[in-house]
Amino acid sequence: MNTRFARVAAALALAVAAWLPAGASAQQPAAPAAPAAQQAAPAAPDWNKPPAWGAISEKPGYASVRGRETNVLIQDGGHEWRKLRNGPVTFYGGILLLIPLVVLVLFYMAKGPIKTHDPLSGKLVERFSSVERVAHWTMAISFVVLGLTGIVILFGKHLLLPIVGHAGFASLTVLSKNLHNFVGPLFIFALVIFITLYIRENLWKPYDGAWFGKFGGLLSGEHVPSGKFNAGEKSLFWLLVVGLCSVIAVTGLILDFPNWNQGREAMQAANLIHGVAAILAIAMACFHVYLGTVGMVGAYKAMRTGYVDETWAKEHHQYWYEEVKSGKQPEKAAGGAAQPATGD
Amino acid sequence: MARMKFICDAERCIECNGCVTACKNEHEVPWGVNRRRLVTVNDGKEGERSISVACMHCTDAPCMAVCPVDCFYKTDEGIVLHDKDLCIGCGYCYYACPFGAPQFPQAGAFGLRGKMDKCTYCSGGPEENGSAEEFRKYGRNRLAEGKLPACAEMCSTKALLAGDAEVLTTIYKTRVVTRGKGDEIWGWAMAYGGSGMLADQPGGKA
Repeated sequence: MNTRFARVAAALALAVAAWLPAGASAQQPAAPAAPAAQQAAPAAPDWNKPPAWGAISEKPGYASVRGRETNVLIQDGGHEWRKLRNGPVTFYGGILLLIPLVVLVLFYMAKGPIKTHDPLSGKLVERFSSVERVAHWTMAISFVVLGLTGIVILFGKHLLLPIVGHAGFASLTVLSKNLHNFVGPLFIFALVIFITLYIRENLWKPYDGAWFGKFGGLLSGEHVPSGKFNAGEKSLFWLLVVGLCSVIAVTGLILDFPNWNQGREAMQAANLIHGVAAILAIAMACFHVYLGTVGMVGAYKAMRTGYVDETWAKEHHQYWYEEVKSGKQPEKAAGGAAQPATGD
Repeated sequence: MARMKFICDAERCIECNGCVTACKNEHEVPWGVNRRRLVTVNDGKEGERSISVACMHCTDAPCMAVCPVDCFYKTDEGIVLHDKDLCIGCGYCYYACPFGAPQFPQAGAFGLRGKMDKCTYCSGGPEENGSAEEFRKYGRNRLAEGKLPACAEMCSTKALLAGDAEVLTTIYKTRVVTRGKGDEIWGWAMAYGGSGMLADQPGGKA
């Protein structure tokens, strides 16, 4: 009994002894500077001040809720993204898409379609194999689908929504979004095959420089010889297909697969680059589509059937025609009438 | 008309996740969707604080501005709501929101996003108040029942406050004056523009 009491008393004495100097030392350093300061600023111990929220809100902290960036309080990159997307990208992008249309309509009205000077020979040369054509059309059709659905997503709110109303526009846009997301990977697949198939004929040749000087005779009507693809087509291949479409493909994948755990910053940047590159690509593609359809007689048929008339070949791609005739290029002539090369 | 806002008092929040649980329970949100979450900064260090964050119902809401189908609307109490029938699940509101509020239940393979879900300030959506359809899409509409958001009502330390901005800042002012710290209201500068300091708020002036 006595010993237990003694032990408790000793423990109490120890506790008091421990507390006294601790309390004294805690108060003493504050004492000299304190009196005036303590009245002005109430007792906020230095070690427990709230953080300045500005910077720390953007740093990853701890969050028990699992998920992508759940431990970040504030990520304000979205403000910049919003300003750029809703501002210049939509406004100047919209104008940029209208320019080719206006230019091409005016050009067509002034010049009309480009025709061959000499009458058609009736003899056909193979220009595109079926593999080349399938690759081209897979890419072309998916490009158009992606372009149109992308335009709905970016501009539809301003152009279509006031006409068709919220419910109708939402149905159209959800279709656009899903088409865009699922056709995108198909486009990338076709793009890779297309580049592989067409890259050799698009390598730069010495005579391509001269083509630019005369702009292919597009305005003067002068004959400018070229290989299988002229310098304009080669530029389009490198700038549009290899350049812009690759950028669009990479940024598109970042946006299409949110399950890859990329952060918001990556998606904001990817969305801006994707949009700008796509608008430039559509604007460029307009010129190609024009020359490949109404702008030049015989061009559409070349990609549709794979065959061109010898006169067409001579006048538009003289060096290529000569190579084919001299046997350096594989020649597969179709006899007689222009038969679509379906059973090839 | 009241202007509904949230205040999370970092000096009081004890990171109990009661608000998160209250929200999940009240609205029966699907797995993977967290309308409210807790973030702890300086975890285990000096100046450790926790903030409960959800949609702040911004004045100039970025989600509204970027939505390609214009599915957002703002109530006359300043609450930002959206129409799930219009939402296409593009994720743009998620890119734009500084608070990470928009949530997307996964709707298919490859992370395909379903319709966006976010804090409604416990005030449902465009459907009829208190209807089963409204509950299914947006959760309970407590405001229509004359109640405040479940998270704030449930908060054990009253760190999370919901209600009219001026009432909130008046309450908050008493706290700041008493304890002498925490006069920056977290998130307000980002959500409502201007300064987040208590002294600059209508009810916070001395």
